[in-house]
Amino acid sequence: MNRRAFIEMISGLAGTTFLAAQMPWFTVFTNPSGAGMSASDRVRVGFIGVGSRGQTLMLNVQEFQARMNIDIVAVCDTWPEHKERAVAMINGQAEGFLDYREMLDKVQMDAVIIATPLHEHAQMTIDAMQMGIHVFVEKAMARTLDDTKAMYDAHIDSGKIMLVGHQRLFSPVYIKALEMINNGELGKITKLRGWWTRNTPWIFYDVPGGRGSALDRQRNWRLYWDYSAGQITELGSHHFQLANWVLDSEPLSVMGSGSLNYHTDGREVYDNYSLVFTYPNGVHFTYDLLDSNRHNGVGFQVLGNEGTMQLEANRHFAETPPRPPAIRTLIHNIEKSIFETIPIGGATWIPAEAVKYGGNYISPDYQLNETLLFLEGFIEFVRKGEAPPKLTEEGYNASTWSLLADEASREGTILTLPEKYKIKPCQA
Amino acid sequence: MAHVAHTSFYAMGTRCNIVLPGFDDDAADAVFRHVQNEIARIEGKLSRFHDGSDIFSINKYAVSQPVETDNEIFEVINSCCRYHQITQGYFDITLRPILEYWKEHPQAEKNEIDEILARTGTSNIELNPENRVISFKNEHLDIDLGGFGKGYALEKVHQMLTRFGIKSAFITMGESSVLTVGHHPAGDHWKVGIKNYLNADEAVHTFQMRDGSVSTSSNFYPDDDGTLINHRHVINPQTGYPIDELVSATVYSHSARDAEALSTAILAMPEEHIQQLVNHFSDIVVLKVDYTDNQINKKVWEYEATSVSH
Repeated sequence: MNRRAFIEMISGLAGTTFLAAQMPWFTVFTNPSGAGMSASDRVRVGFIGVGSRGQTLMLNVQEFQARMNIDIVAVCDTWPEHKERAVAMINGQAEGFLDYREMLDKVQMDAVIIATPLHEHAQMTIDAMQMGIHVFVEKAMARTLDDTKAMYDAHIDSGKIMLVGHQRLFSPVYIKALEMINNGELGKITKLRGWWTRNTPWIFYDVPGGRGSALDRQRNWRLYWDYSAGQITELGSHHFQLANWVLDSEPLSVMGSGSLNYHTDGREVYDNYSLVFTYPNGVHFTYDLLDSNRHNGVGFQVLGNEGTMQLEANRHFAETPPRPPAIRTLIHNIEKSIFETIPIGGATWIPAEAVKYGGNYISPDYQLNETLLFLEGFIEFVRKGEAPPKLTEEGYNASTWSLLADEASREGTILTLPEKYKIKPCQA
Repeated sequence: MAHVAHTSFYAMGTRCNIVLPGFDDDAADAVFRHVQNEIARIEGKLSRFHDGSDIFSINKYAVSQPVETDNEIFEVINSCCRYHQITQGYFDITLRPILEYWKEHPQAEKNEIDEILARTGTSNIELNPENRVISFKNEHLDIDLGGFGKGYALEKVHQMLTRFGIKSAFITMGESSVLTVGHHPAGDHWKVGIKNYLNADEAVHTFQMRDGSVSTSSNFYPDDDGTLINHRHVINPQTGYPIDELVSATVYSHSARDAEALSTAILAMPEEHIQQLVNHFSDIVVLKVDYTDNQINKKVWEYEATSVSH
């Protein structure tokens, strides 16, 4: 899909209640801020955390930096080599910092993009917004429910934008998929299934001292409870967001179980989980995480009585192909003991849309980079000074339910969201 | 009211339907799953599009080195070679390069087509039955079982249904291939009508069938207004040219495989050969309908015991 086709698709949906209710943020592409290329319209962006994910985000911003009149004014990472790599990426045009507070104090900026270990998100995000800076923070939001709620409250109190990096929210595939689901093409949705399976030790850095050492806890922070809920916050949270979005609701409760049964190298976080989220109307979302087998890859299925969508694979399967009229007549005649000729034989029936072995494509085009679109959207929202509340709420709900899933599977209990973490649902 | 179990699914690029009179849904479900799995298995072996299929491998490697096959694939290719001989070359699984050439060069010259035609032909496939090895005599060969696969699948399905003890069934693949088992619950056979493309509610011909198949090949499709359009995907293997007339050929046989292969061959075959072919097989009936100029020109050939000649 090229950009024009993407814009046309959104234009085609403009004004529909579907777009307004479920994905109002897409109109930023058809109704941009109108800012020009003058120095006064320039958006000044800083980065906190430029490791593997932060570097990717930076590359994305650089892709549209000139076109969208953006200055990358500062970068920060506690690891000197990351900081220096990031400064080199922008040819020394920005100042590098080891301490984010120093960066926020010293450099004037409009927005900051945060991609640091999970447990560090909250303080950085809150500090930035309280200083009047808009924030894009990687998912999940925080390590604790209290931190997550504090971030949300700071966002409301400061009036600053806070978006959480669930990039599927900006994927054209999901626009099309949600539209089809809304149109009833799957019939009644009765179940969601998802899985994220890999066969990986998930070690980002080899460090002297190995697993459990102080250095490993810092660098491979995803493996330790204090800093991460492992696969749940780092991977599953994307799909928890998706489930909420598809069903247009938060879960009512979550239960689950997990264990370390393969990667027994001294890490703390589980290497496998089975989770069940319960939604209104008796719909369940079952979810598997596994780090010791990748046969099933990554999947997310929406199941209805009339069809199945495999959203990660961009595929749609009708529960049954259309029944030819002659077969309907034949069945009727057999039932009524009518013995007549039925004209049926003829040229081979060819489906109007080519039916692939693996089902139809939901959206024939798939190639747009949704991370880039999300960051573009963020910059446009920064220019406008606000973003649709639902976009922030999607991130909040995915984060709270990730943390509840973590807690439920470690304690073996069924959990609901405590009253104090509920946010007032905002209309879009 | 008699209960009728039914299922439909996609396979081999089209829709498939199975009707099982007298079955409840639970009992039918096991049968349906077996049939669907069997058709998927065959498609996985015969499709030229699946890069894991046997035919895909043969097309890719048989020109540079002999390809060893399993019993089933060897039998399938061997069977196609036999149809090629029996039909005097009108059944040919190697015409794909000509078709592709026409697609890219709608105004192709005769000498260009002759050149490609000289390199194609099922006789350029070499079979060694001792070690079930297949090789191509030149690099232009490309096996396409599009005019064979559905019939082969229905033959296997027929055997499977027999093993399940099923006495009555009606199965279609894309409606161009129809398999009947036993008879209609209210009659002693199945009445299978062949569509009249000038009048959709009518049958241009009815086959009265017990345990048999009808397969229809045609070189046209009706557009949204019902006008018949020659899709030019049917090549006369003798000339290398698409067939100009708007024709459909239907073959009834006890063997789904025969019905499928022969209907494809008969589409281009001159009429004088058709009677010979019918007499050779003795249990087939051939229907050919020419729709050119919105006229129906219909002919039926049946076995003539007295006029057998080879």
